[in-house]
Amino acid sequence: MNLERVRAGALLGSLVALAVVGCAIGTTTTMGSGDPVADRQRLMKNVGANWAEIQSKVKAGNAEAVAVNAEVLSLHAQRITSYFPEGSLSDKSKAKPEIWQKWPEFKAAAKNLENRAGTLRDQAIAKDAAAVTTTVATFGRDACGTCHTPFRVPPPQQPAAPRS
Amino acid sequence: MKIRHVKTGIVLGSLIALALASSATGQSMTKLWTSDAVADRQRLMKLNGASWADAQAKLKAGSIEAIAVNAETLALTSTQIPALFPEGSLTDKSKAKPEIWQKWAEFEAAAKNMGVQAEKLRDAARSKDQAATEAVAKEFGRQACGTCHQPFRVPPPQPQQPPAPPQQLQPR
Repeated sequence: MNLERVRAGALLGSLVALAVVGCAIGTTTTMGSGDPVADRQRLMKNVGANWAEIQSKVKAGNAEAVAVNAEVLSLHAQRITSYFPEGSLSDKSKAKPEIWQKWPEFKAAAKNLENRAGTLRDQAIAKDAAAVTTTVATFGRDACGTCHTPFRVPPPQQPAAPRS
Repeated sequence: MKIRHVKTGIVLGSLIALALASSATGQSMTKLWTSDAVADRQRLMKLNGASWADAQAKLKAGSIEAIAVNAETLALTSTQIPALFPEGSLTDKSKAKPEIWQKWAEFEAAAKNMGVQAEKLRDAARSKDQAATEAVAKEFGRQACGTCHQPFRVPPPQPQQPPAPPQQLQPR
């Protein structure tokens, strides 16, 4: 067999295949701005703002009304991993490199947020105020914390700025 | 020239390249949704309806600044809309019109417009300017929802009198 020609053919084939794949990916609508750090920080700010509203609704005895916010958390959670392309670190980012070293665990932590937020939503829809209150009480540790503790540089302690 | 060898090479090379490309995308582009685009977008739009209802309730109660979180949620979800309408994704449960794919550029522009309008509402709310927030909110149904629902969605059955209560999230 003429190896050199096979090689040339292989190269040609690869290029064509890559071009085809490239076009296919290109048609996928881009959801981000091209700056994954900014995109994920915007997303997580909205997660934080919805979480703040959940807490204030529970405090005000309005536990049933948290369904909409919990559903936001659940849907936003589905987007998290796509906003962490490998190596997307900047001086503004608080992401730890462990994210990419332990990618399956990172993915599982995002899924965990999605699931717990879904549980909270269902409890609110069922108007089970006691269950909502219980879930909210441990949500910071069991949902936010399972990702922020291993995968985020702790933010400096300071009074929280208003978020939305 | 031994064409057969070249052909073998082309097939081989293509397969390898495809395998590499798909594992690369598989890792860096995590799949966001289930395989049911209709269910996914209906879930998203139900949330948009609920966020909008929440915003209107706050407006009525005079909690202007609190509307910002709902408006920002709407702005963020709007960026996902086009990706949830892969070509030809129509079922008997879907209210999408085929015009979406015939006028894709306009459909994309309508989703983009929703984002712009939602950001306007968010910024007005953040500034605690009640009059400005009310003005944006008053036009939001027509200017944001309507520019897409009018041309691209089959109208839902008209609600009976008295009007249906504000849209709430339902158990799925």
